Amino acid sequence: MLRKLIDESAAKSPWIYHINAGSCNGCDIELVSVLTPRYDAERCGFKLTGSPRHADIVVVSGPITVQTRDRVVRTLSQVPEPKVVVALGSCPRSGNVFKGSYSIDGPLDKYCHVDVSVAGCTPKPEAIIAGLAKAAEILKEKRKEMH
Amino acid sequence: MMQHFPILSIMVLFFGAFLNGIFGGKNAKARKIIVLASIFLSFLMVVAMTGPVMLEGQIISYWLGNWEPAMGFAFGIGLEVDAVGLFFGLIISTAVLVSGLYSFEYMSHDDALGYYYTLYLMLGGGVLGLVFSGCLFNIFVMVEIMTFSAVALTAFRNEKYGALEAAFKYLVVGSIGSTSVLVGTILLYNQTHTLNLAQIASILPSVSNGVTAVAFGFLFVGFATKAFLFPFQPLAADAHAVAPSSISVLISGVLTKTGVYGIIRLVYVLYQSMNLGPVKTLVVFIGTLSMFICVTMALAQHDFKRLLAFHSISQVGYVITAVGLSTALGVAGGLYHAMNHTLFKSLLFLTAGAVLHQTDTTNLDELGGLSKRMPKTTVLFLIGAASISGLPPFNGFASKWMIYQATFEAAAAQNNFGFALVGIIEMLTSVLTLASFIKVTQSVFFGQMPKKWENVKEVGNGMIIPMGILAALCVITGVAPSAVEKYLLAPATSAVYSVGKYINAMMGEGFAEGVSLSSETVAVDLGRSGYWNPLAWLALLGILLFGAFVAFVLLRKEAKTKESEAAEMFGSVDEKFEPFFSGERAEFSQVGGSDMFWGFKKVMRPYLDFMHDAHSGVVNDYVRWAVECLALVLLYCVLCGL
Amino acid sequence: MNIVLIILKWLFHILVFPGFLFTLCAALLLAGIDRKLVARMQNRVGPPLLQPAYDLLKLFGKEIIIPRQANKKAFLSAPAVGLASLLVTSLLLPFSASFVAVSGVADVIVVLYLLTIPAVAIIVGAASSASPFAGVGLSREMVAVMAYELPLTIVLVTVCRKAGLMMDESGMTFSLATVMQYQAEHGAMITKLSMIPAALAMLFIIPCEVGAHPFDIAEAETEICEGTLAEYSGLPLAFYELAHYVKMFILTSLFCVLFLGGFTTGVVVVDLILRLIFCVVVTFLCITVPHAVCARFKVEQVFKFYWTWVLGLALVSLLLVWLGL
Repeated sequence: MLRKLIDESAAKSPWIYHINAGSCNGCDIELVSVLTPRYDAERCGFKLTGSPRHADIVVVSGPITVQTRDRVVRTLSQVPEPKVVVALGSCPRSGNVFKGSYSIDGPLDKYCHVDVSVAGCTPKPEAIIAGLAKAAEILKEKRKEMH
Repeated sequence: MMQHFPILSIMVLFFGAFLNGIFGGKNAKARKIIVLASIFLSFLMVVAMTGPVMLEGQIISYWLGNWEPAMGFAFGIGLEVDAVGLFFGLIISTAVLVSGLYSFEYMSHDDALGYYYTLYLMLGGGVLGLVFSGCLFNIFVMVEIMTFSAVALTAFRNEKYGALEAAFKYLVVGSIGSTSVLVGTILLYNQTHTLNLAQIASILPSVSNGVTAVAFGFLFVGFATKAFLFPFQPLAADAHAVAPSSISVLISGVLTKTGVYGIIRLVYVLYQSMNLGPVKTLVVFIGTLSMFICVTMALAQHDFKRLLAFHSISQVGYVITAVGLSTALGVAGGLYHAMNHTLFKSLLFLTAGAVLHQTDTTNLDELGGLSKRMPKTTVLFLIGAASISGLPPFNGFASKWMIYQATFEAAAAQNNFGFALVGIIEMLTSVLTLASFIKVTQSVFFGQMPKKWENVKEVGNGMIIPMGILAALCVITGVAPSAVEKYLLAPATSAVYSVGKYINAMMGEGFAEGVSLSSETVAVDLGRSGYWNPLAWLALLGILLFGAFVAFVLLRKEAKTKESEAAEMFGSVDEKFEPFFSGERAEFSQVGGSDMFWGFKKVMRPYLDFMHDAHSGVVNDYVRWAVECLALVLLYCVLCGL
Repeated sequence: MNIVLIILKWLFHILVFPGFLFTLCAALLLAGIDRKLVARMQNRVGPPLLQPAYDLLKLFGKEIIIPRQANKKAFLSAPAVGLASLLVTSLLLPFSASFVAVSGVADVIVVLYLLTIPAVAIIVGAASSASPFAGVGLSREMVAVMAYELPLTIVLVTVCRKAGLMMDESGMTFSLATVMQYQAEHGAMITKLSMIPAALAMLFIIPCEVGAHPFDIAEAETEICEGTLAEYSGLPLAFYELAHYVKMFILTSLFCVLFLGGFTTGVVVVDLILRLIFCVVVTFLCITVPHAVCARFKVEQVFKFYWTWVLGLALVSLLLVWLGL
């Protein structure tokens, strides 16, 4: 029964860790706006954490520059299981306008499995919430697979 | 038989020193046998005396050459062991024993060990002689023996930077202390025409005048200097930092206790002045000053042993404060803390010695992460640190708790707001003590490990066992305070107050009544000390810890560890288990010991700067401190007309 | 037979009421209410009331990562020790003048020291995790402890003196039960004019001791990556979170014992509900409001604040009580 409770609460308390992999800061601001009184993602238990060790959902924004590549991979590996990776905006999934630049080494799914991708430049807060909600569901599934 | 034990327990140590001087120079085996035999014999004899003295309440007296007092006058040299003396004797012989056992492995890198052990045995004998002596002049002689052997031992590692300098400072300022004791003795002799403690105690109340007040000042300053109390002897840190750790144990655990013992004897037995307001104020003021200022000094240190040295003054400050309250609970708390201080501070100095032995440094900024390499030392250090910071259920908590109660009770009973503030400073000091040991924990044993300590090994059993003994004693005296109270503290506290009995034991029955002193054993009521029942709490804590452990085991199965993606990306090193470093590859970067509490330091900067400048390290300045303080205390004594 | 009954009673106290189970539920409820209230004050809907429970349960199911450089034993046992000492403290707090779970040991100084153990546990855990962020965090935590401990001591001494003047012939009491008794007979401490500064000081001390928002310098997630907790994940982290909630409940409960003790009826159930209501009110005043309106302080600001303003308030109270007012 305890196990079932744990599985259930996995979806109800997803803590977010945010990595900026060379983003223009547009997506980052929109992600913060999701937690403001207007959208209030804390309703669903979302919370921003400061350390990858506490995170359930890792939100990556930006087109993965050469400089950030190793750091993104390293930080992603330091998140405890179960974890869900969310690509925020168009950059991490395609490179967006930066595609082809010498300093870009994307997209994100070269380095890890991306569970949810929220498209847009920048995505609307509603879209981000929808994506995060989807990620929380995936989190629960992953949690169930762990045992 | 028993009445010979006091002199034998001292002579065994001196005789051992003598034999070691002859046979122990070259022959390591003979040296070991001599040292072990003398410290064990002396220890056993001191322990054997607890039966009659502590349990049956006797006082063992011994006249050298059987020169007993005649016609109510003490001609000969006497030894007198009452419960206070024996209490300190027990502390001292335990510390000497442990330090001796520890020395064999610890000093194995040094040469000229023949001298080391000779001086060490003389130090032990001198200190034991001081607390057993019944004669004021012999106290001075023993003070000199222990000071000079301690000075020589401080300079023992004279290849080290600062060793000779510290020893020189100690020699000069220590001589001021000894001289002060001598002058006090001379003045008292002039007034009472005797050197016997018991006889002086019987005469003094009737001849109280200006000269005896000055003598009180001299003796008080002398013993305060021996206890390294704050304004009198600011060089304790220098001496501790360079002395071998086994000697730091003796300096901090034993030499300071002789000062405490001297002050107790002086105030309670010789002058019987514990009820005088000015004396109380003086003793409590000096104690509080040492307690608070030295703990703030300790917070600013970045050398392991210097930090411990400042703490030892701070903890002796607790003892002096508690004793100065002049209530039964205060004296008992002070004695309890004196014992505990010897136990945990010795333990901490020994762990510092273990670190020094393995890494050759005690600089907090250089060390780090040693808990992976020295796990046993780490556990022992944590026990010592928890004890000194007064965390329940270790012994420091039990004694500090008694001292707090005594302070606040005295404050309430006498409606003395100053004592209430003293109580608050005591509690604050405890927190600051905790803070500085957190600093040591973080920067020596935990935290990140610099590359150069990767090959450090744990110390051998020769060092672990003495430390283990002390750690076990710390826990035992902490969880069984009622036993300690019943068998050690109550008799000792009662002895402090039973002056008439002390006089009679020395001078013959009926002597004390002759000077209208009661020779009854004063019963002490250590009420109030019953709230804390550590065994119950240990059981509780045990249950809860067990619960937590079960939860851990059950839930550990839930979590599985997979190879991380980064391991596949970067090859061999699995970055998942490296510390999080904002995505960078982990490198050595940690808050150094000296920058630990910068929030505190920034606010307290003016005060700390002042203190830093005051501790200039120049011997002339320190002499000036000692002389000025002596002058102030003398002035105070004369003005208050003790 | 008697012994069995005593042991069963002890076990009941330890495991059910007022120990483990009750404290846990009350603490989780209090934390939930706090989060909800903060959200309402910021015009948000806020998380469900049971959100702290969800957080904990989720953390139970997460993987435990122990960093390679960490000292494994200290890393894992520190959170358990911290939580255990808090639960022991919960047994010491009286619920009314007549009901203390473990009577005779309800000692103010013991409570004071038991309350420092969780902070020490956090610090030792952080130190053993070998993370540079944890190093910064633990140094800040210790400075915070130094900051609030001085005024806290004075507040406790003030209350002890006030109650002891009337209730104890020595003029000082250290028993929390006596403090409750005094308030039952002479009215709550908060109604005495001389105790109001002390109560105010205590209200300032609670958020710092709990590590609530404007004083959460040690776990500042935006600057030092959760500081002391940076390397913790999974179950040990859940223990810390739980300790945080329990500490909130215990400190507000302590405030009720010290200052609001007079409002009791003698019926255990009613007292219990009253106590919980008081706890919520105190939490609202000293944790929720500052959380919703203040930004985080700097370390030296915290230290200065406590050693000037809060210390001053506490000292004024002590002086007034000592003068017999």
